[in-house]
Amino acid sequence: MSWLEVAIVLAMGTLVGLDQASVPQVMLSRPLVAGSLGGLAVGHPLQGLAIGVLLELFALETLPVGGARYSDWGPGSVAVGALMGMHWNGIEASALLGLVLVAVATAWVSGWLILAVRRLNVGDVAARRSALDAGDLGAVLAVQRAGLLRDAVRGLGLTAVALGAGDLVHHLLETSWRGPQWPAQLALVTTSVGVALYAGWRLAGLGRHALWFVGGLGAGTVGALLWLR
Amino acid sequence: MAALTRSMPGFPRVLARLFAIQAAWNSERMQGVGFGYAAEPALRALEGGAGGERYRAALGRQCAFFNAHPYLAGLAVGASVRAELEGAPVEKMERLRGALCGPLGSLGDRLFWASWLPACAAIGIILAAFGAGMWAPLAFLALYNVGHVVARVWALRAGWRRGAMVALALSAPPVRLASRIAAPLAGVAVGFAIPVAFARQTAGAPLWAYASAAGGAVLVAALLRLGLIRVGAATVCAVILGATWVLGMLWF
Repeated sequence: MSWLEVAIVLAMGTLVGLDQASVPQVMLSRPLVAGSLGGLAVGHPLQGLAIGVLLELFALETLPVGGARYSDWGPGSVAVGALMGMHWNGIEASALLGLVLVAVATAWVSGWLILAVRRLNVGDVAARRSALDAGDLGAVLAVQRAGLLRDAVRGLGLTAVALGAGDLVHHLLETSWRGPQWPAQLALVTTSVGVALYAGWRLAGLGRHALWFVGGLGAGTVGALLWLR
Repeated sequence: MAALTRSMPGFPRVLARLFAIQAAWNSERMQGVGFGYAAEPALRALEGGAGGERYRAALGRQCAFFNAHPYLAGLAVGASVRAELEGAPVEKMERLRGALCGPLGSLGDRLFWASWLPACAAIGIILAAFGAGMWAPLAFLALYNVGHVVARVWALRAGWRRGAMVALALSAPPVRLASRIAAPLAGVAVGFAIPVAFARQTAGAPLWAYASAAGGAVLVAALLRLGLIRVGAATVCAVILGATWVLGMLWF
């Protein structure tokens, strides 16, 4: 990856990190989009999309509700999307497993970092409390800007760490995976589809909405049998 | 209070700033500072203009605690701004703001986070599985943000027009319709996406692999949903994937 590509990936990761909760929340941070953006940064968007779709199955479980701690999939997805794009001529299931693991870990860590950013925002608000209560526009703008800057640094840092970790993990698995590829493929399918199933089941609940979910499962199974086999 | 027909001063700027209402989210005021930031362009129409006594008092009030779904916060911003410009009693304004937090939060979470977002994401997954390529994320963004932006614009307009009677907007026919169809739509879309994604991932695999993967997925989903494992989905995935990695490294 050239330095320009690294810079573009970091910039994209920063933007999707901001999009998750700060501004503008247009869902650039969803893995389906963020992974594609990462692949696009290195000239291979379809490879980024492939891992983005896989991660989107995991992300169906994430509900970005207000003050709760939730996973932020954006920066990690951009990083692994770019790494997938770097290996556009093919990637083993084992290496893909490693990238997914990095993305899952990054999303989990980011949830804690969002809380840390919000704690720093509290400090900012406390320091400017009387100015805010007095209607000082300068204080309002300063608090907003500081919050955005902190979130941007969070996104940038996460993308950089995920990029480095993903590259290392990919190299490790390429050189030291000794077994066949099917356990990796099996683990990826089991976890991604399992989490998506859990997410759908949780959203549907146990009432009549569950019937719609079950109906969707049935229709999807028919669709898959008719068109994807 | 009759519905207002004149437009909100500074409407485009207020709407644009609403996209950053969570920029400085914190546990003390939550969206409060962002609320004040969004309302500020409209408050310049107060007597004395920007920097005047009424403007500063209003801005200070509008930076107080507030928390709701970000896409529907415009209802509260519009109503609060109208109350300020009409010189409503301070206690009434504060009661209005406080009363809107819960309903806007729960309605928004139900309509968007628990329904529209997973439904659109599922449609993106389905399109990708059926070979739509880059049209999948583009369709997801377009579809999702039509709903998103329409909601923001509607919310701000409705809040301004309804003022203190803003609760009427929450029971308007379009909102009731959206509430009725959102959850079923998400259920069908997510349900459809799961076997399609499974089929795409296991294409060409032998029968035992299908059975193992399907059984494993159902087991993971059941363990999580029934609360038989007390850790989050991310932890479960990390453990399974990490264990597989170790297995692969040590295979002999």
